[in-house]
Parts: sequence; C-alpha cells; structure tokens
Amino acid sequence: MAYHLLQRDPGGAGRLASALDHALKTLRRCARCNTFTEDVVCDRCLSPRRDSSLLCVVEMPVDLNTMEQTHAFNGLYYVLMGRLSPLDGIGPRELAFDRLLARANDGAVREVVLATNFTNEGEATAHYLAEMLRARGLKVSRIARGLPVGGELEYSDAATVAQAFIERRDY
Amino acid sequence: MSAQRQRIDGATAFLLHARPFSETSLVLEVFARDHGRVAILARGARRPRSALRTVLLGFQPLELAWFGGGEVKTMARAEWLGGLPLLMGKGLLLGYYLNELLLKLLPREDAHPALFDGYAGALAALAHGATEPAELRRFEKSLLRELGYGLALDRIAGSGAPVRADGVYAYQPERGVVQAREADGVSPSLTFAGKTLLDLAADDYGDPRTLAESKLLMRQLIAHYLGGQPLQSRRVFMELQEL
Ligand SMILES: [Zn+2]
Repeated sequence: MAYHLLQRDPGGAGRLASALDHALKTLRRCARCNTFTEDVVCDRCLSPRRDSSLLCVVEMPVDLNTMEQTHAFNGLYYVLMGRLSPLDGIGPRELAFDRLLARANDGAVREVVLATNFTNEGEATAHYLAEMLRARGLKVSRIARGLPVGGELEYSDAATVAQAFIERRDY
Repeated sequence: MSAQRQRIDGATAFLLHARPFSETSLVLEVFARDHGRVAILARGARRPRSALRTVLLGFQPLELAWFGGGEVKTMARAEWLGGLPLLMGKGLLLGYYLNELLLKLLPREDAHPALFDGYAGALAALAHGATEPAELRRFEKSLLRELGYGLALDRIAGSGAPVRADGVYAYQPERGVVQAREADGVSPSLTFAGKTLLDLAADDYGDPRTLAESKLLMRQLIAHYLGGQPLQSRRVFMELQEL
C-alpha cells in the first residue's frame, strides 16, 4: 500500500504519514469507554445529554459509529477493542473484561446492551459477558438478529433465515 | 495431471479456523469428510459485501469445491448446508476445544470419515444444548483411535491379563494399562480405578468417579500427543469459568 501511494500520490503519502504520526502521538483510550480519543475522557462520555443508565458494549470503534448512525440509542458505550477468539489465544484477560466490569459497576448503569457481532466469536463474547454482568446484578440485553429491514426471504441468505426461524418469537 | 487441474467438488466439510490473508482474503482450515484437514485460500472473503460472510461459518456443515495441488488450495465454491442450529454459550467454547484438537493433532490431507462423523455428532449434541463431559470423552477417544493411538483399556499391557474393576492402574501413553505399583514415579493423581478404564472402554459415563477420572486420563494422553503445545481454548475456558 505504501509503495503504491508513493508512486501515485507522493503529496497524499506525506499528508497520510503526518496524520498517522499525529494520531500515534496524541490518541489514547478513553478512561470510560475505551475508544480512541485525544482526551482522558471522551466528549461522548462527558455529555450530559446521554443516558448514563444504559451501557452498550461493542467490539470495535467502527461498531460504535454504526450504532450512533441508528439514532436508536442514547446511552453510553464500552468498546472492547476485540472479541473472544479462543483459538487465537484471545481471552478475558487479553480483552480486559475486568475494566468493563468496573465500568458497568459505576452505580449509574442499570442495563448493559450487548451489541457484539453475530459471529461465533461475537456470540461467545456476549454469552460470557452476560454471565459475568448478571452475576453482579445488572440487567443484560442482546441486540436481536434477523432479516434486514426491507429484506425479502427470497433474496436472503439461508443461514440468516434459518436462525431467524429458530429464534422466532410470539406475535 | 497439472496442479491446477486437481479439482475437488461437492466436499462436505466444517470450517475449523480462518485467518486473515492480505487485505481481502482468508486462509481457511477445514475438516472435510473425505479429504481430512485442508488449507484453502478464500479470495475476497473479507470484502464488506462478500456473500461468503454468511456461508463460511464455523460449526456449520458446508459443501466446498477447491482446486490446486499445493499445500494451500484455492476455493472455487462454498455453500451452507444447514440443518444444525448455531452453537451458543458454553457449547461454543466446547466446540472451539474440539476444533483446536483437530487443528493440532490431525495431519493435513489425511481422510478420517469416521472421525468426521464423530465430530459432526458431537457438534449436533452441543447445538442441541448438551454440554456433558461424556460428549467430549467420546470425541477424544475417537480422535486418538483414528490417529492410530488406540487405547487398550481392558487389558494389561504385555501380559494381556484382563483389567479388574477393583484394581488400581496407571496408563502409559505408548504402552497401555500397567499395574499402579509398576508405574515408577507415577503420582497418585495419575492412577485410575479399574472400573474407570472399563467404563471408558464401554463409553459408560454414569459413575461420577468414572467421569472425573476419565477426564484426567484423557487430559494426560492428549497432553502427551500434543508434545507440550498448550491448548489455548482450554486456557480461555478456564479463565472464563473464573469470572
Ligand atoms: Zn469515552
């Protein structure tokens, strides 16, 4: 990628290099939500307009951005910066589950919404976080899985339709 | 026949593990019923709109086609076969354990249809909520048998004398059952009741002591055949139990 950029756009390469350098020097993890920020605590975590009784757990900062675009959630976040991946040696220690536990136990949080991905790794992560948080008396919920809005059965992948069927609900 | 022409079609397989390769691809380790463990490059599988994202799922039966003669094949086609609910909760972690055993102990491209069927059966049990240790013991036993490390549990090594339910024995990996007093330097935690060995041979896990001791015996044997490689899934599982 670097080689390609240097050949095609040396000016852009220079700007990218200085942007990356700036990010490396100034970016840190928010003490509350664990996402990248230039401050000790990020603006979102400090905002009085957000509902501090709801905490949404996502895997990565891009997932936080996606949740924000929904305008469906006005609580706060915790970004794991990964997911359980037992075969790659990524466990609760590598993901610092204890930091999330401390965050969720701040006294203000009433419900933790698990919004990890619907992959095997995301599902394993959600399962163990739920057990850990419920054992501490917190209410835990999980985002629902199913067909996309406007999705027609005919054009949906079979695995999604199968799981939507297995997880069907009273109606 | 040129390498490019070696094409496999309609192979029933499970995905054991996938690792990123370049910006947009994955290298898969799959366990195919008639081809054993195979490494396959899935080009473009990590692209945001790739249709493979909802097909290449672990613990789900797949039908694959690939070509190539080298160590890493190239995927031509992948279809999700279905029929098995997704693993959830603790069953998922146990599934990872099965996958890690296959990844670390099964040599590449060595077909083991009976082991494949045992694996599929164990996943089906886990998918339907069974997390009993007996499922794991059955699978571990069939794995060792298929790898040629078959366990002779009802006879004493050398003499061939029958193991007695009320005897106390040890198990030496390359040798078999020995009288506990003969096994020099064996710690008491690695001695087993004769009944445990006979129950394990018969896949009868009704007795709590059989369950506890057979777990220790299988752990000892698997550690031996892993030759010192640690099992990541076991470590993660233990850490999760402590939460
Ligand atoms: Zn923050």
